[in-house]
Amino acid sequence: MNGVLFAQQLINGLSLGAIYAVIALGYTMVYGIVELINFAHGDVYTAGSFVALALLTVLGATGHSAAAAVVFALIVVLLATMFIMGTSGVVIERFAYRPLRGRPRLAPLLTAIGVSFSIENLLQLWYGPSPVPFPQLVPNPFFAVGPLSVGQMQLIVILSSLVMMAALHFFVQRTKLGKAMRATAQDWMAAEIMGIDINKTIALTFFIGSLLAGAAGVITGLYYGNVWFINGFRAGLIAFTAAVLGGIGNTTGAALGGFVIGFVEVMTAQYVGFQWAEVTIFSVLILVLVFRPTGILGQQLSERA
Amino acid sequence: MRDREARELMQLFHAGKISRRDLLARAAALGLSLGVLGGLGVRPAGAAGMTEVKIGVDLPMSGGEAPNGVPTNNGVILAIEEANKAGGMYHFSETLKDDAVNGVHDPAQGAKNVQELIADSAVVGIVGNFNSNVAKACIPITNSAGIVQISPSQTNPDLTKPPAALDLRKANPSKINYFRVCTTDDLQGPVAADYAFRTLKARKLAILDDQETYGKGIADQVEKEFKKLGGQVLSHDGIPKGTQDFHAILTKIKSEGPDAIFFGGVTTTGGGLIRKQMPDVGLKIAYVGGDGIVEDEFLKVAGDSAEGSFGTVAAIDATKVPAAQAFLTAYKARFNDQPGAYSANGYVAAKIILDAVKAAGPDREKVRAWVARLKNYKSMLGTFSFDQNGDTTNRIISVYTVKGGKWTWTDQVNFNG
Amino acid sequence: MARGGAGWLGWILRYRYALLILLLFLAYPLFDHNAGHVNSAADAAVFILLALGLNIVVGFAGLLDLGYAAFFAIGSYAYALAASPFYGLHLPFWPMLLVAAIIAGVFGALLGAPTLRLRGDYLAIVTLGFGEIVPTVFLNLPKYTGGTNGIVGIYQPTLFGYQFGFNPRPYYYTLILVIVLSVIAILRLRDSRLGRAWLAIREDEIAAASMGINLTTTKLLAFSFGAFFSGFAGALYVAKLGIVSPDQFNFTVSFTVLAMVVLGGMGNVFGVIAGAAILYEFQTLFLTDLTQWSHAIGEATRIALLTKLDFVNLKFLLYGLGLILLMLLRPEGLFPARRITAIMKEHQHEALATVEIGEAPVAVPPGEDA
Repeated sequence: MNGVLFAQQLINGLSLGAIYAVIALGYTMVYGIVELINFAHGDVYTAGSFVALALLTVLGATGHSAAAAVVFALIVVLLATMFIMGTSGVVIERFAYRPLRGRPRLAPLLTAIGVSFSIENLLQLWYGPSPVPFPQLVPNPFFAVGPLSVGQMQLIVILSSLVMMAALHFFVQRTKLGKAMRATAQDWMAAEIMGIDINKTIALTFFIGSLLAGAAGVITGLYYGNVWFINGFRAGLIAFTAAVLGGIGNTTGAALGGFVIGFVEVMTAQYVGFQWAEVTIFSVLILVLVFRPTGILGQQLSERA
Repeated sequence: MRDREARELMQLFHAGKISRRDLLARAAALGLSLGVLGGLGVRPAGAAGMTEVKIGVDLPMSGGEAPNGVPTNNGVILAIEEANKAGGMYHFSETLKDDAVNGVHDPAQGAKNVQELIADSAVVGIVGNFNSNVAKACIPITNSAGIVQISPSQTNPDLTKPPAALDLRKANPSKINYFRVCTTDDLQGPVAADYAFRTLKARKLAILDDQETYGKGIADQVEKEFKKLGGQVLSHDGIPKGTQDFHAILTKIKSEGPDAIFFGGVTTTGGGLIRKQMPDVGLKIAYVGGDGIVEDEFLKVAGDSAEGSFGTVAAIDATKVPAAQAFLTAYKARFNDQPGAYSANGYVAAKIILDAVKAAGPDREKVRAWVARLKNYKSMLGTFSFDQNGDTTNRIISVYTVKGGKWTWTDQVNFNG
Repeated sequence: MARGGAGWLGWILRYRYALLILLLFLAYPLFDHNAGHVNSAADAAVFILLALGLNIVVGFAGLLDLGYAAFFAIGSYAYALAASPFYGLHLPFWPMLLVAAIIAGVFGALLGAPTLRLRGDYLAIVTLGFGEIVPTVFLNLPKYTGGTNGIVGIYQPTLFGYQFGFNPRPYYYTLILVIVLSVIAILRLRDSRLGRAWLAIREDEIAAASMGINLTTTKLLAFSFGAFFSGFAGALYVAKLGIVSPDQFNFTVSFTVLAMVVLGGMGNVFGVIAGAAILYEFQTLFLTDLTQWSHAIGEATRIALLTKLDFVNLKFLLYGLGLILLMLLRPEGLFPARRITAIMKEHQHEALATVEIGEAPVAVPPGEDA
């Protein structure tokens, strides 16, 4: 085996996995607190790319703008997109999921897919059925690290997702709101008795999960230079798989799952044959779950079936 | 149902044996509703006594397939509108069916769609489908109904050429009803391979395809021909549907050290993004594709990286055909967009049926027979006839290169001998 | 069975509405001469079979399966490979119909095996994985399955010399017959010892196990019986269509069948049939033809707006909003099974002391809350 090549693919896997991981965080947070597979999450991610694209167009930022202006525009757009997507996550929860809380488990699963289809169609109506170019604001030079080369965008993708994961970890573990989220996830009835506003906490969870997806949307827009209304489907499916692989409900697990799946995908491309990526990803998932039925870092679930 | 009586009445009417007023009176006497007659191509409150004729269209129009179907259908719309503008005794309209279910082209939906189109007796011919597996479900149905079906885009040889195609036209083997205005993979593929080998001097080739019938079909042909020429095919991978990130597969390809990459597929299934990401991993080799990427959409998706890409198209150089230039202008004016890879094909496919109706009358069998006898038909794709299998005799393949951000004609290969 | 003495008359009375609707469906092709519509009805019947099968897994046994299309694919390819020029085989249709179902049933148990220890949504994702793996394998092994080109020229059934051909009507009637037989079989299954064991594990696995129900066999049999009916569906589907290719079995098919089950009313056999028929026609006929209908109405009423609407662009939106609205209005489905309503509500397990389905009471201890 060629070590340099392996290491190079590892870098590819890290940047791909970082994207899956950030999307997986949203899945896992929502699942942890309301036990819902939020199939619309992948489309929230894609919608984030489109919102960012629209904002950039409004600001008139292009690859030829001055560097300072570009950085400023990007920060504004990133924050605005995160806020908009977070809010839309709250709205989706309020209208499509909350009325079904405590109702049959599968009902919100269907509304989630309904929301997913609706978002895709709205994006198609907004920007048309074809892929749309995303302005290339960040140049992508290569840095040589020994025999390896790392693209600037790959570094940005990896670093920014690590920052987001760390911030989320801090928020969930160290803040009062995070504590309320954890309490609600563990037993929402008990949490309610203890005076935690369940609706607010769940809304907050959706806000943060969707905000992260929105950020991922901005970053991949810059990275791939294209957005297409259909992209969220596969990305969402794979990210969800990552969340389950890591142990759904566990944010560290989701991050780990994202990187594992990124790794499996690139190694399949390198050593197996790219067309087998779906098969290897899901085979790894099934194998892991056979031996660890609650994922890599998942705790033993309660008896709720 | 009174289909037969209605049809007999219509025949009398079309043959000029009875007047419109007579027709309506007799129809009323038979208790035929206006709807039934309308379905047969009479418009009682008709615009200046014109006969309503419908062109059926079956394409994937929704979800991720919309970038294939929509621009192709726009070509059809343009042809119909031009025919109506030109006047005559017929008023043409389109009955459009979407064969995508949940965003994926579906043979079962295609089969139902053409059956519905066939059930509407005002439909004289069908333009479609887009995807080969949908065609495999539809051709037997249109064949047994004896209605003409012209595909704008299907390049799979099995759809027309024996022995495989004989299974599809078992009902009426002698009455060819399925035609296509594009040439087949077994011609286009070798040209791409040949061009890569002889002109680009590539000796080692890496192949990617999108695992669709078209993409894999043309990629397999390229592989076969490239090996025959003495070249080496280093790898041939398929792309999982929906992939956005090609860095890993491109890193692998780079490590193999090819002289060129061939991509089988269309812009949206990876053709654009692969080209876009090649520089990300430091790949500076030639990029060759089939007609699926020779469209402006590819230039948009691949951005600056598109420069220097090669693509083959089974048609003569569009810039040398005035009709093609007129089409381009008309398309932009009508749809405020650039044509897609198969817009011109959609236009020509519809135009053939429209011309057949004008020449032979709005009768399915007459239209089919007229199309089957098509000889030296002048179109923006070139002058062509249909052979005994329904394939175009147009065997000129053009090679295009992206120069200055535009697809530019560079070369052509003529198989006509 | 407990009520063996009731006899045929009782049975007919009990299912009088079902029989009436059956008669309507038998008569339907006599009135609709549009082959496309009848074909659409036949395809709806295929999805009814799929929904009936999935209902065993999801509705009866409470195992969430997101990859049911895998078994549909296996059943379809089983017949396609056995009766097409691909391998040069031409095995007769009618025995192959059963063989395809058995093969699908065997795979149901095989693919179910790794999921036995998994609960809830972990199970769902593994089944989803199989749902992705199976069509991808068919796609990636062109030597054995035809790959992306699929298998073409699949032989069509004949019955006493009558060629089914591309006329949808004989398929339609065959499908109705198969559905009727399946419904009878499924109702008997539900009321059998095994059926009661399924309901028991759906309510509370641990309680069921402690009452002596073998979880492994009970679950595997649920997967197996569930997959079995998709084999019928697959064989009939590809025989009618004449072609099979891997992209006909993607995730959205699994999801659609699940939506049919949930929409109809999980666990309720007749509800599931209605759910499948309604959702299928909504998607493939209503949404596909909506534009034309709107234009026709617009022309008839001279309302210009209607003639200009284009609903093709809005298919996903209408479908998505339809799903959301239906679930918001009827979270238990259109026709909830009698006691499912109470069972399915989370955090209300205590309220339930006995489950009553059919005439077979099953004692179930209060469930443990999470």
